[in-house]
Amino acid sequence: MKLEELLHQTYGFTSFRPGQKEIIEQVIAGRDVIALLPTGMGKSMCYQLPAYVLPGSVLIVSPLLSLMQDQVAQLKKMGEKSVVALNSFLKREDKEKIWQTLNQYRFIFISPEMLVQPFVKRQLEQLTISLLVADEAHCISQWGFDFRPDYLRISEILPALGHPQILALTATATAKVTNEIKTYLKISDPFIYTHPMDRKNIAYDIKRFENTGEKLQWLQEFVRKFEGPGIIYAGTRKKSQELAALLNESGISAAYYHGGMEHQDRIFVQQQFQNKELEWVCSTNAFGMGVHIPDIRHVIHYQLPTSIEGYVQEVGRAGRDGKRALATLLLAPGDEGLMESIVLEDLPTKNEIYEVHQSHDPKRLISDGIVRETAYRVVDYWLKQLTVEETYKQIEMLQQEKMKQAGKIKKLVTITSCIRQYLIESFDQELDQKPESCCVNDWIDYEVFELRNETGKKRDLLSWQNRLNALLPL
Amino acid sequence: MLFDELVITIMKSINLERTLSAPYHIIKGKKSGQTIQDIGYYHLHPYFALMPKLEKKVYDQTVRSLIDQKYIRFNEDVIDLTEQALAMPIPSSNLNGWKYRGNEMIFFNRLSLVVQTLSHTSQSVNKFDPIDNSDVIQAWVKRYLKAIQFRKLASVSKFKSEILDSLLAVALSDDHKNTLMQRLSGFGRSGMTWEQIADVQGIQVLDAQLRVIEALHAWLEVIEEKRYPFLHAMKVNIVELSSLTESTRRTEKLFKEGYSLAEISSIRHLKSSTIEDHFVELAMNDPLFDYSAFLSPELYGEIIKISQAEQTKRLRNIKDKVPAASYFQIRLALAIREDAQ
Repeated sequence: MKLEELLHQTYGFTSFRPGQKEIIEQVIAGRDVIALLPTGMGKSMCYQLPAYVLPGSVLIVSPLLSLMQDQVAQLKKMGEKSVVALNSFLKREDKEKIWQTLNQYRFIFISPEMLVQPFVKRQLEQLTISLLVADEAHCISQWGFDFRPDYLRISEILPALGHPQILALTATATAKVTNEIKTYLKISDPFIYTHPMDRKNIAYDIKRFENTGEKLQWLQEFVRKFEGPGIIYAGTRKKSQELAALLNESGISAAYYHGGMEHQDRIFVQQQFQNKELEWVCSTNAFGMGVHIPDIRHVIHYQLPTSIEGYVQEVGRAGRDGKRALATLLLAPGDEGLMESIVLEDLPTKNEIYEVHQSHDPKRLISDGIVRETAYRVVDYWLKQLTVEETYKQIEMLQQEKMKQAGKIKKLVTITSCIRQYLIESFDQELDQKPESCCVNDWIDYEVFELRNETGKKRDLLSWQNRLNALLPL
Repeated sequence: MLFDELVITIMKSINLERTLSAPYHIIKGKKSGQTIQDIGYYHLHPYFALMPKLEKKVYDQTVRSLIDQKYIRFNEDVIDLTEQALAMPIPSSNLNGWKYRGNEMIFFNRLSLVVQTLSHTSQSVNKFDPIDNSDVIQAWVKRYLKAIQFRKLASVSKFKSEILDSLLAVALSDDHKNTLMQRLSGFGRSGMTWEQIADVQGIQVLDAQLRVIEALHAWLEVIEEKRYPFLHAMKVNIVELSSLTESTRRTEKLFKEGYSLAEISSIRHLKSSTIEDHFVELAMNDPLFDYSAFLSPELYGEIIKISQAEQTKRLRNIKDKVPAASYFQIRLALAIREDAQ
């Protein structure tokens, strides 16, 4: 059967999105594949469809709980019922049930830390796994912006699974990271698909200010002038709340969104954004996953992003409909220092390394607040491979690498040449052709962006009877 | 009832006898001997476990603001209410925390997903992002929807009229019902965050949350009484059969098998003070509790007399007057239900 027919029969789509077909063909042909596909380009289809051709189950290793939940939700939304998610938040009685029926699932999602538990390993050994998917595979890179030590241990389980074929998926990876993926997942001769990073319909703007007051004033004028929908990325939860309050005061309908909110409130903000009740969402980098809004016109970074990869991902949420979108980065004195301190914040300190090294019960250090959990995971990994002195050195090197990462962002806001070109080259790709409206250092056509015509609607509660009728209109 | 009013209401009952953090443990539903006993001594059942997720720092903020507003005098040891607070009328409320213990949210989470599903499917939309991502709730709702034949519009309209009828029968302000309904969402109809609701109504986030809890408690009573079939089915397994904590139930079982307090303590590898807590909890809950193994009727009478005469439930005050009694005996005597004797 032709792949298009299978796609139509299984999921009701009539055509593939760019890149999907090439990747799926290679997966079905039995080849290991590394695929670099931007988020929102239908990464999951690359293993969903092969699952209907390959004899066994597909095991998807997913580094972030929220991401895993989102993917499971998306799969279920597409009508896929044979899905199970294994993570440490499962209740014991649910786990028992799942172990007994594990072989019946077509898609098994698992967190990397669970993957290497001996019990789990024994369970998985008894299954036929046709394909192992390493999602967000860039997390394997020790030098990357998102390193998860547990990811390095995927290779440990490969023999137990009978060396299944591998599909490594990521939205962002430089040539260096691609090589690391090859090494750590023991893929010798993969098919590598690289999607062009460049998004022609997005123009890159940078605005410089003398101080924070000016920045805020510009922001208020901008949101009053231009029509949304748009996302404003703030560096911290607190800042996202402050910005949303500021916008609301200026008569703009806005809400904040961050990981500290309860689940229902987060869904409500997504609903409001999707239903066009909100013009702007002020958010930390938590916003984006699970949000599928094609017509976002503006992405504003109120503070400097902490990596080029993160920046490109966040900007990439704009203009999914192919129409023109604008990415604006705001810069005031002090922002670079703030960004640098955030970049280094996650790294283990010398003292944390020392404490973990000395302790007999390092988990205790986390609960006592002496060592942070993120830092612990990194230190623990390195102390198992290296002596404590070597670990200090390793972390120092990591620090230098992080500073390089920060340096790339600093360069982004200082260069006078084309920003598009700079971004593309950061991913070891070449810019083939520039759009006319390109970036602040070339030229940006602001005329195409619609001016705001509506005044913010005042929010009010419906009477409960009217609301009930609106929810169930029959 | 506003959150401030809730805190003051609880504080009035335990004024000068308990610390400032006691109301927090009650509202959060801490299952410690002390908190469970306080519920019984001071008849605070309506307020137990209203907000199991309440954060201490949020509660502390409320207390600080009550001090600033001169409702509470600063006192290191105990709650010390001002005249202004003592004169404040206690707002009427149909809260029933002891019965629901935060489980009313299970009912509401089921309801949210059912309404969201029906809102979409009845308008021929079959895909949406579920409002609740818990596997347990999703699995429950799936079974429920099948059972009520949710694809039939007749089911949906019956379901809707049950909500309408039962909510009409709830004796609460429209503010309560509007808030509750705004936390439900459906096709093209977004819900509102707590903060947005609070802004619109000019109240605090905690007030809005408490409003929904009040609405749910009152609504659940109506549903139970009138047995609306669709809604009644949605509240299965949310009320614990016995109000005893799990551990106390095990102690009770051993006691009925004839083991003594000391023996139970050694069998269960628990401190005897913990087992004492269990007996106090038993005494509070069981009108037929037989205290004779721990306390003579004379001593019981003496403790109660002092407590009433001195108008206190503070253990130390009573112990000063009845030195023969142990603290456990005093706690037990105070816990025994008045209707039992």
